[in-house]
Amino acid sequence: MTAALEIAGLTKAFGEKVAVDHVDLAVPQGSFYGLVGQNGAGKTTTLSMAVGLLRPDGGSARIFGADVWGDPAGAKRLVGVLPDGLAMPERLTGREVLTYLGLLRGLDRGVVAERAEELLTVLELDGAEKTLVIEYSTGMRKKIGLATALLHAPRLLVLDEPFEAVDPVSAATIKTILRGFVAGGGSIVLSSHVMALVEQLCDHVAVIDRGKVAAAGPLVEVRGDATLEDRFVDLVGSASSGTKGLSWL
Amino acid sequence: MAVAVTLVRMKVAILRHSLTGQRGSMAASAGSVGVLLSAGTIYLAFLGGDWLSAAYAVWMLGWIIGPVFSGGGDETLRPEFFTLLGLPPHRLAAGLLVAAFVGVAPAISLLAMTGLVVLGVREGVGPALIAVPAMVLQLAVFVLLSRVAVAVLGIALRSRVGAVGAGLVNGVVLAFLGQGWVFAIALGQGDEIPAIVRYLPSGWGVLAVQGDHLALAAMAVLIALLLAAWAALLTRRAGAAQAPTRGRRPMRAATARDAVLAKELRTWTRDLVRTHQLTFALAYGVFFAAAPLVLGWTGMLPLAGPIFIVMAAAMASNVYGTDGTALWLSVMTPGASDVRGRQLAWLVAVAPVAVLLAVGLSAVNGGPWPMVVALTVALLGGGAGLVPLVSVYALVPGTDPQKRGGNPLRTSEDDGALTGLAYLMMVLVAATGVPAGVAAALWGWPGVAVGVLTGALCFWWFGALAERRLAAQGPELLHMMRTGRRPSGGAEGRAGSAFKLPDMPRFQRAVVLVCMSLGAIPLIPQGILAAVFVADGRLGHSWFLATHMQPGLRYPTAAAMIALGLAMYGTSMWITYKYKKRAARS
Repeated sequence: MTAALEIAGLTKAFGEKVAVDHVDLAVPQGSFYGLVGQNGAGKTTTLSMAVGLLRPDGGSARIFGADVWGDPAGAKRLVGVLPDGLAMPERLTGREVLTYLGLLRGLDRGVVAERAEELLTVLELDGAEKTLVIEYSTGMRKKIGLATALLHAPRLLVLDEPFEAVDPVSAATIKTILRGFVAGGGSIVLSSHVMALVEQLCDHVAVIDRGKVAAAGPLVEVRGDATLEDRFVDLVGSASSGTKGLSWL
Repeated sequence: MAVAVTLVRMKVAILRHSLTGQRGSMAASAGSVGVLLSAGTIYLAFLGGDWLSAAYAVWMLGWIIGPVFSGGGDETLRPEFFTLLGLPPHRLAAGLLVAAFVGVAPAISLLAMTGLVVLGVREGVGPALIAVPAMVLQLAVFVLLSRVAVAVLGIALRSRVGAVGAGLVNGVVLAFLGQGWVFAIALGQGDEIPAIVRYLPSGWGVLAVQGDHLALAAMAVLIALLLAAWAALLTRRAGAAQAPTRGRRPMRAATARDAVLAKELRTWTRDLVRTHQLTFALAYGVFFAAAPLVLGWTGMLPLAGPIFIVMAAAMASNVYGTDGTALWLSVMTPGASDVRGRQLAWLVAVAPVAVLLAVGLSAVNGGPWPMVVALTVALLGGGAGLVPLVSVYALVPGTDPQKRGGNPLRTSEDDGALTGLAYLMMVLVAATGVPAGVAAALWGWPGVAVGVLTGALCFWWFGALAERRLAAQGPELLHMMRTGRRPSGGAEGRAGSAFKLPDMPRFQRAVVLVCMSLGAIPLIPQGILAAVFVADGRLGHSWFLATHMQPGLRYPTAAAMIALGLAMYGTSMWITYKYKKRAARS
């Protein structure tokens, strides 16, 4: 079966610094894939290249077999993306953002209206009907971003730090939506540095360290007998880190 | 004083990091222009006090108005950086004021202020000694006026009324500055400086040197007042959000292009910075064209529409940059006609007002109908084509709207590039009106057909070029927005501004810069405008050379000027192209 997302040899250097160094990943269809790594390990750069937001120096990415750089229209139709910290059309309301994007994606006007209504209700954004996105809180921005990623019924979701700054109640809602998406046959790749979250949600995991894949595969195989957090610290850091205190406190 | 010293050191450190590479060389060239202007000012000091007062009045206006067009002025140290420190506002303001003296612009202004010393030395030892404190106080007045103006504008831009009002005032001031000669003649003293210039705050330094020591005290008082005002404004600035703009109508678009159109139109009406820009363009066009009414001459009135169009295009020259990283949505939806939607939105925002102005004011003046209609149509098409084209080819990375600080004018960190882009846009859009203008001047109504043709061509072809660039280089442009920096070297270098000069020897670079910056003078005023005046039978017109020539030489002179202008642009483009190719090969 074709992989939902297949990354082969992706490489990116910014000046002298190699941010991503020949990363290979295969995300099977129907899997919930977690990408973990320290800040600056290359998670965002990898995901940006995988969905066509950043041109790699080398390597390729395929979404259900469609080459992201060779057949961008075909590949991008199948994927919903939640990037971390990028702007939206800031002076639209949530509903207007969804309408605008749905039409950009070529959806029918009626379909867009129905889905927007449902997304706003489920994500509890319908109370902010008159608020422009620029006035949204960080958590609300994540939610409207997730709504735009889901709008065109993609088969693969690529989510960069979807739970950052989201309150626990909203996080529970989002988890339910994502689990439902996978249960319905969809595939998800999400990045996070919260190990407990990845352990709770994902069935596959890849550990990225300094631009390289340190370990990848089904969650149970990667973590072995330990917890994911212990395994992660084993893979990427020395055990002594985190024990240094501050001298003046 | 400790606060001030720390702030100065902080600013020096930031400037040292940021004034490198391309921005450094840009600051250097801006600096050399400033030094030339200072030298001119000092020269005026040898002519007499009134001339110097007049020059300083221009410097003062530059300090006040400049930041409005260069993205909010010097914001190396933002007041927001210090909100958590709990400093009393007056100490913070005093510290920021001291730090504000560090930089290229204050250094150059201080150089211009040495004109006061020259003036003093000519009068004697006492006046020369007075000139030194006068210099410093005068500069402090300028810097503070600039800061207060920016702060007031920042607060004005929180409400729609304020945004419109500020746009109106700025447009009027700038238009009247551009038409200064009208008022000079109207006051009946074409070759004499009005006495009022002497008593403006910009003239107080000169007054002090000339023996009116009260002027020194007046400057000190003014500085204290401005500082207090600025401190008060700083406390209001922190944590300021954009005014929410109410009035929602449901989006009725049914296609991707209409969705972009709807999104853009909402942004035009809801973003108060854009409201301010459009009002400014409108006020500038109307008052620039109406100024000669003071002399009882209505001939320029019909040009209000075309001038408004050119200004409105210049204001929208970074339309992609101001949206920041929202570009990712266009990258993720290939083929969704983003460019066409934006073109239509610009037309919907600008065209109705422009047409109304052109028709209404031509009716008042009784023509010249073919010329005005031809120019309006050609410029509308040209603007709608060039706005997306320039903004994708010379993208200046903007600050994401939600991350802008308390200064709403600050849409980008690269304010020098923004100003340059606006000027470039003015020249380019004006150039798209040339064929129609010339045709209308020569043959009348057929000029309108030419305007329709070039307008449609510009709209369609420039739009297509922009669309192609966006599709091919979207990820690179997005990366540039994300990092706020132009990529340097490597594969990403290709996405850098298409207008960035390649490396070339100093002489060639000088030729390119001179040709680019001065080419517009023979091409537009001395060439095209002069031809229009000749065609209109208006001869002996101030400094338009062709209107002073013998009958047989008028059109040839204008044509030669146009050719010279085009040759200058051609030369600079050819040299740039040659070195670009060489750089690409190596």
